[in-house]
Amino acid sequence: MDLQALKKQEHSRRIKYGYMWALFCAVLWGLWYLPGTAVWVLNPFDQMYGEVAATSGDGVALVIVAVLITAFNAATVILALGVWNGVLGKFGEMNRTLKEFHPCSKWFFLASIFGGPMAILGSFIAMGFVGGAFAAVAALMYPVVGSILASKWYGEKITKRAFIGIVVIILGGITIFGGGVLTEIGSGNVLWIGYLGGLMAATGWGIEGAIAGKGLDIAEPDVGLTIRFIGEGIIWWIIAVPLLAIIGFPMFKYALLAFEPLTLLVLIFAGITFGFCYVSWYKSFPLIGVGRGQGIGNLYGLMAVIFIFLFFGDVPSWTILVGGALCLAGSTIMFSESTEEMESLRGD
Amino acid sequence: MAGNRPIKFRILEICSQNEGKWNYEIVEQIQKEYGLKGNFQRDSINFDIIELASGGMLQDVEVKVDEDGIYKKGFLLHKYVLTDFGKVRATDACLAYV
Repeated sequence: MDLQALKKQEHSRRIKYGYMWALFCAVLWGLWYLPGTAVWVLNPFDQMYGEVAATSGDGVALVIVAVLITAFNAATVILALGVWNGVLGKFGEMNRTLKEFHPCSKWFFLASIFGGPMAILGSFIAMGFVGGAFAAVAALMYPVVGSILASKWYGEKITKRAFIGIVVIILGGITIFGGGVLTEIGSGNVLWIGYLGGLMAATGWGIEGAIAGKGLDIAEPDVGLTIRFIGEGIIWWIIAVPLLAIIGFPMFKYALLAFEPLTLLVLIFAGITFGFCYVSWYKSFPLIGVGRGQGIGNLYGLMAVIFIFLFFGDVPSWTILVGGALCLAGSTIMFSESTEEMESLRGD
Repeated sequence: MAGNRPIKFRILEICSQNEGKWNYEIVEQIQKEYGLKGNFQRDSINFDIIELASGGMLQDVEVKVDEDGIYKKGFLLHKYVLTDFGKVRATDACLAYV
């Protein structure tokens, strides 16, 4: 075979695998909202909510339970990624990367602050109080935050096309949030904290992406992502959970009660889907470019709505569907612009 | 020094030598230095190179067909150099002397 034909073949092979990884990411990310929503009605979290709500009120109970759920989510993600790195034989590389605090691990730990206590906690709060479909679709606004930060921090230009995409996504966001809030104002009971959770998810993931990128481009993503979750594990299990326990919340009592088969199964399902959605996301970037990878990854919003409908039978309100469609359209407009990366991948 | 810093740091370092390096040369050298054996590790290191290239830190300057099976028979071999962005990135991250 001649050089040109081989180049073409190599290119199409990369594109094929790239799209496959990105699609994996979307499916796994969408699936994550199933255990994320279901875990709220399982014991010990259900019981814990009741106990904390009785003394401190619903709002506090929601956040406290969300902290414990997020802490378990981080733990099972670390477990899943630990197995993954073990199979790939990358513990040595993890050790080497961890030692590079200034160029690498510093950024991963910083990213875990925004990814964990902000984005993932916010997602769980939104799932618990408004619903999985809302939580999933609300987070679709994260590229707006990410690109604004990139322009402020690294002086990246926001092109006209990206700007149009941002406007469309914001319109989608207004539809998602506004629709829900308006309906609830009508019924006189607005779950503000749930909506705040949705905003936390979008903002947190936007910031996380902008920060983590700084260390991930010179580290192995499998390793870097694991360190990022170890950082989150430290935040929850060494700082937040003990601190809340000292204040007087029954954190450890219920943490120990979580070791029952069904709860553990759901938590492990959350860890596997979430851990591997990150891994496959990063695998897709070098093959099809960050833009396409994120654009296809964002189909998770659609996947989540479909899975929630299939498993729970919940039909989301029309505002979520319309808003979600606008967010998807907007991110497609934003991400479909950069073709140079594809060109350079072709190697010609 | 070699073998105790992250693999991608070392790849950037190897590619900073003026005329560039072929991917099979980089992979072979890394495998030797880090004691990574087998085809799986070989492909994993090659994927690191692809990631660095897609991140704009490496650029391939020459391509040829692997006729003799030095790396993978019938596949393409790429020769990479460090880009200007790669130099900047490597300087503030890992290679003080580049």
